[in-house]
Formats: sequence, C-alpha cells, structure tokens
Amino acid sequence: MAGPDRGRAVYRLQAPILESARLPGGHHRLVVRAPVIGAAARPGQFLHVWCHDPATIAYPPSAAVLRRPYGISRVWSQEAVEILLRVRGVGGRVLAGRRAGECLDIIGPLGHGFHISEGLRVAVIVAGGSGLAPVPFLVETLVARGIRAVLLAGAADDEKIPFAVDRPSGTLTGPLGVQKGGQPGRATLLALEALGAEVTFVSEAVEGLLVSEVLESHLGELSGDGAEVMAIGPRAMLKRIVALTDGCLPVQVSLEERMACGLGACRSCVVPVRHQEDLVYRTVCRDGPVFRGSEIAWELLEP
Amino acid sequence: MSAPDLRVNIGGLTLRNPVMLASGAFGYGDEFAGLADYGELGALVLKTITLEPRAGNPPASRTAETPAGMVNSIGLENVGLEAFVREKLPMALSYGTAVIASIAGDTPEEFAACARRLDRCEVAAVEINISCPNVQQGGMAFGVDAEASAEVVRAVRSATRRPIIAKLTPNVTDICSIAKACEAAGADAVALTNTFSAMVINVETRQPVLAANTGGLSGPAIRPAAVLRVFQAARAVSVPVVGMGGVWNASDALEFILAGATAVAIGTALYADPAVGNRVLAGIRDYLVRHRLAGIRELIGAVELR
Repeated sequence: MAGPDRGRAVYRLQAPILESARLPGGHHRLVVRAPVIGAAARPGQFLHVWCHDPATIAYPPSAAVLRRPYGISRVWSQEAVEILLRVRGVGGRVLAGRRAGECLDIIGPLGHGFHISEGLRVAVIVAGGSGLAPVPFLVETLVARGIRAVLLAGAADDEKIPFAVDRPSGTLTGPLGVQKGGQPGRATLLALEALGAEVTFVSEAVEGLLVSEVLESHLGELSGDGAEVMAIGPRAMLKRIVALTDGCLPVQVSLEERMACGLGACRSCVVPVRHQEDLVYRTVCRDGPVFRGSEIAWELLEP
Repeated sequence: MSAPDLRVNIGGLTLRNPVMLASGAFGYGDEFAGLADYGELGALVLKTITLEPRAGNPPASRTAETPAGMVNSIGLENVGLEAFVREKLPMALSYGTAVIASIAGDTPEEFAACARRLDRCEVAAVEINISCPNVQQGGMAFGVDAEASAEVVRAVRSATRRPIIAKLTPNVTDICSIAKACEAAGADAVALTNTFSAMVINVETRQPVLAANTGGLSGPAIRPAAVLRVFQAARAVSVPVVGMGGVWNASDALEFILAGATAVAIGTALYADPAVGNRVLAGIRDYLVRHRLAGIRELIGAVELR
C-alpha cells in the first residue's frame, strides 16, 4: 500500500533454480534460492524476472526484451522463493524452459504488499484465476500470526488456476452445493487447506458461480470487527468486490498492469487513485500492487 | 601500459567517461538506488521536467513490448520543476557524478524558465527535449522544424550558462538541418536519437495497445537506424554528439562512438539490466586495452568507410 518506503530493501540476484516443474493446465512452478529476498519479502510483493539465461544478458533478445513481474507464491524457510506462472506468452515459455541448476536473474522483493493490521482477526481472501498464485504466501503469513484465513477462490474453469481442484464424489453443483459452505460437496483446493485456509472453490464451468457471488452470499456472516477482504484477480472481479463490500468491510486489492522497469521510474503501470480532493496516477509496481479498494478511481479503469 | 583515458568533453563539460543513462528510462534516479554503482558512470540524465507537474497520458497501456524493443507513450508525466529541484535532484546528485536535467515546455519561454531556475542548481548541463513524440503540444512539434528548434535553443541559451544539449527526434526527413539549426542557435551539443514514432495494434480487440494510440519505439530494434543518424549529424555539426538508440552492450556503444558520438546514452536496456551502464563501461575499457588505444577520444568518428 502507498506509503513511505525509505530504507526499502531491493536486491538483484542471480538466484540458483532449485526446481522447475510443469503443472497441469499449462502452469509452471519455479523455485529459486534467494535468502535475502526470502527474508525481506511480504505477501503481495513481486519479483521482476529476466526470463532468459543471465549469462546472455549482454546480448539483446528479440523476444521478451523486458522483465516479467510475478507475485511471490511461497517463501520456503526464508531461503527459497517460489513463483507460479501460467505459460501463455513468449516470456512464460522461455521461463518454463529454464532448468534446475541454472540461475534466474531476479529483482525483488518489489512493491507494497498486503497490509496486515494489528486488529485483523479474519482475512477474507478473494482470489480469481491466476490471481491465486500469490495466495499461499499470504495464507501462511496470516495463519502464522493467528489470523483466520477464509479463502474464496474462483476461476472460469479448473485449468485456469495453478492448483488441483478437489471435488469429492457426489458434489452438488449449482449454488446449493456452495452455499452449504464447509459441508461435503464443496469443492476445495487441498494445497491451500493444508496451509490452514478455509477454502471454497467455484468455477463458472462446473458450479456456475462467480467468486464474487460466493462472497455476496457469505457477506453477513463474514462481516464484523476485525474482518477485512484481500482481493486478487481479474479487474472486473476486483471492481465487483469493492462495490459489494462498500461500507461493510474494508478491502485491499492487488492490481496488475503492464510494466517496464518495475521500480517506479518509467511510469508505465500507473492507475488513477483518489488522493484528498485530487485524482493522481500511482504506479502499480512501486506504490502498489496492493491498494485500498476505496482509493482506486474504478470508473476510470478499463476492465 | 597505463589505464586508457576515458574522459570526454561535452560542450565544456568534462565527463569521467562517455557512458550516460538516458532521460526517461532512468527516472529521477532514486528508483534505481542500490541496484548498481551509478556514480561510476559519465552522466545521469534525469526524466524530463516541465514548469508545472504533468499527469501524462492515460494509462492502460502506456507501454507495449515489441521485437527487440518497446513502444511507450508516457506523455511527459513529471513532478514539475519545483518538486524536482527540492525533492529529486539532491538524491540524484548524491550518486557523485554529473547530473543532467532534461526540460520541456509548450513554449520557448517555458523552456527558458526551467533553465533559469536550474542555473541556480548543481546540474552539470541542461538537455532540451524537443523530441518527445507523445505530447500534443511542444515536444516533437518543435523538433521537426529547424526554426522552431532554434527558437527554443536561443531562449534557453539566454537563460543559462550551463552547457545545452538539444535532444533531437529521428522523425524528420533531414536530421542534419535540425542539428545545424540548434548548433547555430547556441547549443553546445546535440543528442540523438529520441524514439521513432510507432504504433502497435491488438488484433483481437482491433484497438491500438497504447491508450494514446501511438508512441515511440526504443530498444535494440532502432539501433542501426540511430547509428546512421548519429553518423550523419556528426558530419554536419562541429559540436559534440551524444549518441543513443538501443545500446545494450559495449560493442553497441562503440558503434555510436565510431559513427561520431562523443558520449553514448543508454535507456531501454536499463529495464532488463539495471547495471547495463557499468557493464558497457567495463567493456569499453577492455576494448581500449585490447586495441592498445590510449583513450576513447581516438575512436570518435573513426569509422573507416568502405
């Protein structure tokens, strides 16, 4: 979240790749050894990744000439840092071809992550699609601090997220199956339950529900002192969630935007933010990526 | 053999070496703190400022990646002259090398007002940005016209004692006539090239990727075109030329120097490698040693035509 960042610790490392693994649905996991970044990182922060072999940095590539920002998915014992990516464009393809034993040129941890306030008791994490990638780090951090982590996750279909979906046999589809929350028949993500989150997963393809609709139906029971929403995913989802929770729950949103430098210098990734009476541009890379939902001028943001 | 002499002179300003970081790419300098030893470089050119703060062009998107390059349309977003002097300049000066301020305006008088204020600051030189392709007024509108360029240079000349570097656009038929007009009007050096006007279209939406529809292409994609323009301009004027456009390594920088550049600025490559300037500098030093040259100045304009 925007604020002074004097003394920010940003490192550039040639980090040894410990694991490079293909995941279902065209996703990919990269784990690198990066102790200084792991020790400094907070949930919601990202790495700016040079996709190619660092040994060739003196030669300009014809494709993927810019770094790629990836939210930090996990920090392992403060030693290793994990990212999860969906292999779509050329940068992801190059990264997915990198192998354990090689090095990855990374800059991080960058940006302002989620603010975990003193009084926080219940974090309602609403995550959609590839927005789920950084959620494990957030859940782990919350649970370690004794904060209840309720994860409402959604996607167009099961393939769009970097985790396996668990649907017990006899799953009830449609709104009823979900509204039972916590009952057999609810789809879940075991990987995130294992970290201590209470998970509900819906896909448009199977359950026929948007994650924002799940939030809406649970809003009454989740609202209250010490509860806050942390949302990460497609812009349309974020916008709906901010509108839904207006006046009843504070919301933090993590935004994505096209970046070049990742450091706040080039001003590529700005979003319109209300500051006192004025509208100002703030950078997603340095002032964000996490903002208060209420400070974004959503009407000026393209979907 | 003693270490090669890397010093160069840009219109009365002596730089410890010919490697500069280009305006725009390096922001105000503080954003890159800790990622390389920027004090080792010849000069740091900070982001273009205007008299008043500017919001720049609409977002989403301001940048598009292209083959070996990128197209940007930031639109001169900046904090304005006063905030620059108060909040930004001191940090940049603390790197311990020459800091060059880049200025723009809608009128020659606005350029002059910026220059006058900066004359009381510790900037080593003033770069006149008459080549930004991403603003409706000013910017490239001056730089495509020899007389309009000269008018801006004259206004700034009357407002500052600092060396003046006129930054030129490649989006003209004859860059030499613009360079000569700037020289005649009192510019101490010319810098080229700024970005090449460009457009990227998303075929799925059938809309331009950039919110401003068009932008400026930078990066290795423009390098050979920029080298040619530096070669041409350096033969047309007698003031020093600062060469830029897609420099990624020492060999690229040496191409510009052989073509006639006295110094070289690096922009887009900073986004890939924040230490690119240091890497280029080390490579130039190696080259001089390998070729048994006493100094970099022997190479300026030394291309041997076939």
